[in-house]
Amino acid sequence: MGNLIVRRVTQMLLIMLTVSLLLFAIFDSDQFREKAAVAELGGFGVATLSADDYHEWLEKKGLNERFLARYGRWLESVLHGDMGQSIEKDIAVSVLLKESLTNTGILAFFVFLIMIPVSLTLGVLAGMNTGSPLDRVISIVAVLTTSIPQIATAVLLTVILALGLGWVPTKSAMADGWSFRGLVLPLLTLLLYDIGYLVRMTRAAMTEVMASQYIRTAVLKGLPYRRVILRHALRNALIVPVTLIFLELNGLLSQVVVVEVFFQYAGFGRMLFDAANFGDLQVLQAATLVAVCVAVGSQLLSDAAYVFLNPRVRFT
Amino acid sequence: MNEHSLLPRLRDQLHGGRMDRREFIRFATLLGVAAGTAYAMAGMSAPAMASSTLPFPAAEPGAKRGGKLRVGEMVARMEDPATYNWNEMANQTRPILEYLTLVGPDNVVRPMLIESWKPSADLKTWTLQVRSGVMWHNGEELTAEHVAWNIRRWSDPALGSSNLGLSTFAALTEYTGDKDSKGRAVRRPLKNGVEVQDSRTVRLNLAKPVLSVAEDCGEFCTLVVHPSFKPPLSHNPIGTGPYTLVELRVGDRCILKRITKTTDGRDFHYWGGDVFLDEIHFHHYEQENQTAALASGSVDAIYELPVEQIELARSIPGAQILSVETAQTLCCRMQVDVKPFNDIRVRRAVVKAADNGAIKKLVFGEHGSVAANFHVAPIHPEYFPLPLQVRDVAGARQLLKEAGYENGIDLNIVVGNNDGPWQQAACEALRDQVKEAGINLAVTVVPATKFWEIWTKVPFGATSWAHRPLGTMALSQAYRTGASWNESHFSDPEFDKALSEAEATIDVPTRKARMQKVETILRDAAVVIQPMWRPVFILASARVHGYKAHPARQMQLTKVWMS
Amino acid sequence: MNSRVVILLALIWFPLTAYVMFRSALGALANYLLLPAIPSVIVLYVLALRSWRESWVAIVGVSLISFWLLMAVAAPYLPLVDPNKPLVPFLAPGGVRHGILFLLGSDMRGRDVLSRTVWGCQRVLVWGITATSVAYAVGAGCGLIAGYLGGWWDEFVSFASNVLLSFPVMVLFILVLNLLGQSGFNIIIAVTCSSAPVIMRIVRGLALDAKSRDYIQAAQTRGEHPLWIMLVELLPNVRGPIIVDASLRLGYTTVAITTLTFLGLGLQPPDPDWGLMIKEAATAALLWKYSYMMIVPALSVSSLILGFNLIADGLREMSLRD
Repeated sequence: MGNLIVRRVTQMLLIMLTVSLLLFAIFDSDQFREKAAVAELGGFGVATLSADDYHEWLEKKGLNERFLARYGRWLESVLHGDMGQSIEKDIAVSVLLKESLTNTGILAFFVFLIMIPVSLTLGVLAGMNTGSPLDRVISIVAVLTTSIPQIATAVLLTVILALGLGWVPTKSAMADGWSFRGLVLPLLTLLLYDIGYLVRMTRAAMTEVMASQYIRTAVLKGLPYRRVILRHALRNALIVPVTLIFLELNGLLSQVVVVEVFFQYAGFGRMLFDAANFGDLQVLQAATLVAVCVAVGSQLLSDAAYVFLNPRVRFT
Repeated sequence: MNEHSLLPRLRDQLHGGRMDRREFIRFATLLGVAAGTAYAMAGMSAPAMASSTLPFPAAEPGAKRGGKLRVGEMVARMEDPATYNWNEMANQTRPILEYLTLVGPDNVVRPMLIESWKPSADLKTWTLQVRSGVMWHNGEELTAEHVAWNIRRWSDPALGSSNLGLSTFAALTEYTGDKDSKGRAVRRPLKNGVEVQDSRTVRLNLAKPVLSVAEDCGEFCTLVVHPSFKPPLSHNPIGTGPYTLVELRVGDRCILKRITKTTDGRDFHYWGGDVFLDEIHFHHYEQENQTAALASGSVDAIYELPVEQIELARSIPGAQILSVETAQTLCCRMQVDVKPFNDIRVRRAVVKAADNGAIKKLVFGEHGSVAANFHVAPIHPEYFPLPLQVRDVAGARQLLKEAGYENGIDLNIVVGNNDGPWQQAACEALRDQVKEAGINLAVTVVPATKFWEIWTKVPFGATSWAHRPLGTMALSQAYRTGASWNESHFSDPEFDKALSEAEATIDVPTRKARMQKVETILRDAAVVIQPMWRPVFILASARVHGYKAHPARQMQLTKVWMS
Repeated sequence: MNSRVVILLALIWFPLTAYVMFRSALGALANYLLLPAIPSVIVLYVLALRSWRESWVAIVGVSLISFWLLMAVAAPYLPLVDPNKPLVPFLAPGGVRHGILFLLGSDMRGRDVLSRTVWGCQRVLVWGITATSVAYAVGAGCGLIAGYLGGWWDEFVSFASNVLLSFPVMVLFILVLNLLGQSGFNIIIAVTCSSAPVIMRIVRGLALDAKSRDYIQAAQTRGEHPLWIMLVELLPNVRGPIIVDASLRLGYTTVAITTLTFLGLGLQPPDPDWGLMIKEAATAALLWKYSYMMIVPALSVSSLILGFNLIADGLREMSLRD
């Protein structure tokens, strides 16, 4: 187990180094420099500059420096805990990152808080009674909700809940301070898909366990049905869903981009999207590295959970 | 006050019926007559103004003090007002910093931080009288030195400011004869261009006659900063306006508060009279989300209402939809030195095959007005109405045939939707029309930010041009030989000469006659298909008073109040 | 999967791709290109119905997919108005103007929603399936190399795929598309970057497993070329799990393409596709009475994804039963 963690963490650091170098190399093009100039001065402003003045402007902004030198400087300051400054938002990247991660964290917390009990319960109920009307209903609803893209859910929910019924604000910018009402639409959009997905996975795992030899034997031996389910079936059936819940952390980081951009929620996904569109390199670097961290971390957690729950597996 | 030598002639023309009243007001203000006086000379009742010397509308009876206005717009950086590239940046700044002149919602320019301007008869020397009693946020008083410092800054070619595209500031530079590494002529500031005569007087000695000095000084990048200014502005904004910046979070919110004390601890006195709002909050909403935000009560007013959301806006109880006609437009311009557009027959064919009126109607319905491919709008004072060109599909086919494209021609227009999806709609309508003449026009849509990287480079592109108070302003920025924004590469010595002559003429009938020549040359060269002058819509809740739609989308909030 | 199915798929696939990607270059030929694809879709559907009759889930799935495939290949021959032509804005479904019936209404710019939906299906299907296929070619190739050849090959391919897998998918998409620019071809690259590593892992595992089997050992003893062994002996024998995964992955890719277009990163207007339709309607159609503009493409894309999901479920169900 310890070995696994060390290996994964080393790998993660190696990957982060590769990725950051790649990003710097990629954003070291004339096209990117022009993009930065247009972002700051505007298309009309850049058109008034002569070639020499343009060059001088780049020089002033430190954009003309060789990329290895820039990378070296960046790496050094990151190692000292300084992630740089956002050129678009004129604010320290660390502050920006902290706030956006907090906001996304709140969203993720509620997603997990609701998703885990609801989907495990529904999934187990469906899997216990494969083929029953209850199973049919749960399965159909689950496959339907996983088939609707979140962009469609988001617009539909806005039309119905915000504009039609007026229960919640249309956007989650929360200009007047944090409010749960503002969180409802992004939360529902995420939940509809995620619950459906987890229900399907739980149901599949439960079905498999229920069909296995030892459960059948236990039931045939005359053990009380409740005890069989609670003691034996559940324990085995939940291994896969629990590992998936950890992996969902990673999936959520993808989903929040769409949801946060659509609902204008000031979270991690929107920050990353803005930074990529603007060419805000230092923010993009930091955000990407955090994303990589979360992704690798969640894979690690999921592996650990698997080992922990399934005593038969040992990683070496 | 001694009158400009041309004023009596102007008055004669007004009374002789050779000039209509609106034009008279335009030109009288141009010559340094206060707008209120000009309205009076023309025998029209002026829009109620706070006082004859202030550029603001009068306070409405019953106007209430206090409260905060929440505006939905994109919240942008506030780096350097001279290099602002979004209108939103200027909107956030306008309550803090102010202009030398203010272009009102009626497209008439009025003195703001200067009390008056006076051109010489040849329009090459302009004397600006700096307003007295204007206090900076740091307690200093505004002086002619401060104004001169700002004007010199705006005309510095190395700054990258779009101000250099304005005639006034361009005329404060000269070509040195040197070329840069790309072969473009290099400019540097005139030696004695900006002259401080005394503590209240600045004189501009321009390299050539310019008509639009007052208008140029009210363009959105000419906000006056204190000489101690260091970008970014948001770190230490020292202005002359009634508000100061409390908090700026780009992409989130920008909060402005009434300023009561100067930074050196004295009471702050605002020169412009009563101001009503305690706070102005800009909340970030993307363009397409602003109406929805207003619908759910998250904001009180929005920056712009896109035309496709008018129906939605009408469904919001109590919301006021305000609109104004503008000289904002879409120029589908062809680069005259790039094949196949270097053949004028091809350009003429495209123009002939297009039906500007139908495009306008499709995109803006009954709103806005049809344009006629020479980039001067009816709301411009020097507009000379040329007859609309009639669509002629057969003629277009014939021209194509002569140019050697008997079997039709494939063209591609690039559009960036910088000003909204209506631009793409206009290009698509154009595509459907020219198809009948055998022109297969493909519409390539690129992301808005991408477009500004390539806008001067694409052979056939649809660029949105902002409102300018005078018609000659856009012409000299976009069509004069070698101008920095000459995206079509149009170059015609005769046009340049005619335009210069028009720009140096104040006498209106002569000037209009000269504009006829300018407009005709441009139109006949078939450089642009310019389908419409777009209207601007804004939206505010019933509680907001005095919020007006402005042709250049300037938010002027000094006299806005909330009930 | 026999040769008949492969030929039918090719008959549908190549013309459709050529039609969507290179229509202007094809000239008059484009008008007839898709004709043979129409009967091919029908025959394919009948074949699927016959071989999957034990699973109603798979039947429903394949019916949905076949419906959209048929729409895609028949679009040029259906009596539809030009999907990009503005006619009458904001016309409710069922309205008639200028003698044209707008069965599903018109959008805010006056374009026929039905026509845009049908034509939009072409773009979504073509780019989605092409992107998935390329991802499969790359992923399966790398997986076979890593699993069968092992050693340094395995180490290298596995590290590269770990790098890519350590990005959340959407982050990878945003980075790739911002870098390369927004176009259909770059979507293929983005989807390949995100899907190929997963496919690589699956195929690698299957290849490792199969390597120890008798028939591979036999082929090796016969002295066959490794490439031959990989493609002819190995690949067909591991196809079961791959087809299930491919079907699911087609669903994911469809979601990805519509989402990216929605974010302005994917296919560019003016040609219709469902993501674009939702995007455009999301700004204009925020009133309940206009929500059909958004609901129609949303339901279309959902039904397509549902189709892929159901086929995957059905196939899995059938393989468990065997």
